[in-house]
Amino acid sequence: MKATLRSLLLLLLFLVAAQPAFSQTPVKGGALTVCQPAEPPGLDPTANTEAAVDRIVYANIYEGLVKVDSSGGFLPGLASGWEISADGLTYSFNVRKGVVFHNGEPFNAEVAKWNLERAANPDNGNIHPEYFQGIETIEVKKDDTLVIHLKTVDALFIAHLAEGDAVMLPMKGFEKAKSNPIGTGPFKFEKWVRGDRVEMTRFDGYWNPFLPYLDKVTFRFIGDPAAQIAALKAGDIDVIGYIAAPESAMMLEKDKRFKVYAGTTTGEVIMSTNNLAPPFDNKIVRQAIAHAIDREAVVSLVMFGYGTPIGSHWSPGTPYYRDLTSRYPYDPGKAKRLLAEAGYPEGFEATIKLPAIYSYSKRAGEVIADMLSKVGIDLTIEIVEWGQWIDRIFKNKEYQLTLIGHVEAWDIGIYAKPDYYFQYDSKEFRDAYAKALQAPSEGEKEKWFGRCQEIITEDAVNGYLFSAPSLPVMRVNVMGWWENYPTVALDCTSVWLKK
Amino acid sequence: MLGFFVKKTASLAAILFLVSITVFAVLFVLPGDPAQIILGINASPETLAALRSKMGLDQPFVVQYTSWIGSLLKGTGGHSITYDMPVVDLIASRLAVTGPLALIAMAIAVVLALPLGIFAARHHKTPGDFAVMACSQVGLAIPEFWLGILLMLLFSVHWGLFSAGGFPGWATDTWGSIKALLLPAMALGLIRAAILTRLTRSSMLEVLQEDYVRTARAKGLKERTVVIGHALKNALIPVLTIFGLQMGQLLAGAIIIENVFTLPGLGRLVFQAIGQRDLPVVREVVLFMAAAVVIINFLVDLSYAMVDPRIRLTG
Repeated sequence: MKATLRSLLLLLLFLVAAQPAFSQTPVKGGALTVCQPAEPPGLDPTANTEAAVDRIVYANIYEGLVKVDSSGGFLPGLASGWEISADGLTYSFNVRKGVVFHNGEPFNAEVAKWNLERAANPDNGNIHPEYFQGIETIEVKKDDTLVIHLKTVDALFIAHLAEGDAVMLPMKGFEKAKSNPIGTGPFKFEKWVRGDRVEMTRFDGYWNPFLPYLDKVTFRFIGDPAAQIAALKAGDIDVIGYIAAPESAMMLEKDKRFKVYAGTTTGEVIMSTNNLAPPFDNKIVRQAIAHAIDREAVVSLVMFGYGTPIGSHWSPGTPYYRDLTSRYPYDPGKAKRLLAEAGYPEGFEATIKLPAIYSYSKRAGEVIADMLSKVGIDLTIEIVEWGQWIDRIFKNKEYQLTLIGHVEAWDIGIYAKPDYYFQYDSKEFRDAYAKALQAPSEGEKEKWFGRCQEIITEDAVNGYLFSAPSLPVMRVNVMGWWENYPTVALDCTSVWLKK
Repeated sequence: MLGFFVKKTASLAAILFLVSITVFAVLFVLPGDPAQIILGINASPETLAALRSKMGLDQPFVVQYTSWIGSLLKGTGGHSITYDMPVVDLIASRLAVTGPLALIAMAIAVVLALPLGIFAARHHKTPGDFAVMACSQVGLAIPEFWLGILLMLLFSVHWGLFSAGGFPGWATDTWGSIKALLLPAMALGLIRAAILTRLTRSSMLEVLQEDYVRTARAKGLKERTVVIGHALKNALIPVLTIFGLQMGQLLAGAIIIENVFTLPGLGRLVFQAIGQRDLPVVREVVLFMAAAVVIINFLVDLSYAMVDPRIRLTG
């Protein structure tokens, strides 16, 4: 009797202990409402670089041959696998069989070929035709293998195929992609109530029969930070994709009903510097500024501790990252000495132009103005409307300093363009970048992408501040949400709701 | 009367013409290349150039302006770049939110303001008058958005009676849509009630001093008849003027409240369109708003004549 009781108790104990493990098995069904702060200008990721577009449609409605997984690696998407030839010039993709678009059109290697050729032509409105212009020929083999020959080695080819610019559209019905997106993804588009929300429902014909778990996903556009929090607390939304005001993340973390992730993203927040505008054309001045900025303090004051300090234009979540944060330790004394060496013992006056739409930029601008004042640099802050920022700063380069987040992954190539708004012209960098792009092996890629990061750090091209945190906030029963954002997407494929 | 209509229509046409040129010119010289804003900062220069010529941005001012006016006269109007739909439909769908919102807000304002204003005037310099004035002073001092957030925290987060913003759409959920408008309308209405209360009170105070009111009272009329039938009618003219101005203002300017409650209204539409340089939308919404204000003022003019038959509509 005693023994039976004991074994019963043991069994009970085992069941109780095993409970959490059982409940971690994903459950199907349910509807999820996600707050995406900005409304996207159209729903075609091939026609717009705006992050809001990708955040809604990428991986949810549209897919490419290659996907990005939650840790930043490349996964088979519409290609079930691929092989790269030894010379790095030929890519053979095994196109997945039995894939259909939401409108019933089949997807195959021919469709993939048509998409890539379409993307390479700027008249079709793809924002990055240059990603595909290195393709020499595309062949479709009998067994539906897609063979792509490149003109030169491109180390970022797979990375580009995994971006929103390379998603597959159907050959019929692609014209309406902007307002009626049709893809192969786990969710099919239902409607876009302009100014309020985008609704999508589970696609029963999805190629992976086990996914998705959710029946419905709604993206609601709530821009006002206070209204976002109120909607979350009132139960109107389940997830805030990323919180604009980090101070409220702190508050929500203490609330048992919610959880907050502070993972990494592809975004680098930098103090962009006009390398041709005096006195910032002087490398020593830029290095002095790098010593005058306390990155840890910037992260704690601007982002309330969320975010990771960076030392170059590469975020810690992206492969080949090199930690260069210790190159310019915070040292106002050294900054002053360098300024004196550069011929500015008394410091100087300059202007920093901050885009009005980004609150982090305005906050960081104020903090940095204060830090630089301690070494004798007197910054005047000018707040600029977004359209004006694009015109005056980005296009016409009428600025000395500005402050903004660069969200695209693998974007260090912008330093190879002397007419980019940094106006940074370095043959050494261009050579290193060309070598990185043509690197035949992982080791070489590691070496040359690392070298690229080092060169711009050494030249202190911009003030490298921090990598933006992912900061999604959600109800505790939302499972499978990505902790890190290694690509610009709010992928709901494997998200499920705990009962 | 006919002359009045002709004159008003002519002035409407003239105003719209001037507004159309002004808004077009302002947007034309405004820094910020629409094509660049649409495609984002990292778009390739080739794609940019292709879009710019597709949008006609490489054409001279006169060509761009006349082709726009032409499309308006044909009745088609422009096509929203970001929303990929005709601007006319966009305005109609947004008006279906902002119109009812403004009406409910003004209804709340009037229902509160008239009785309170009359009460305060009749009990001039009593504690009741003082209380009403104090409340309206508070109403004037509170910013709209703050009142909106306060109402949201109370009714949505704390009591869970309303959803915290958003708009389900009339076709999907009619009752839900009305509910979605109540809190924002309250935020707008309470503040406007404060203004209208003060105005009604001072206007009533003035009229109640008039000789004819004394005569009416001397005739032995009931106080109720004196106040409602004799005094109020005359006191209403300035109140109506402000009512009209505010109604026009609400159609165009409920933008802050629309943002707080994430309502897909006209104000938010134009605000977002300016940021995204969706020029066809900005132009036509501004034109529409100008027309709405002119038409509301016209209706207010008509109502003067109804309230006070001595006013002749001669334009």
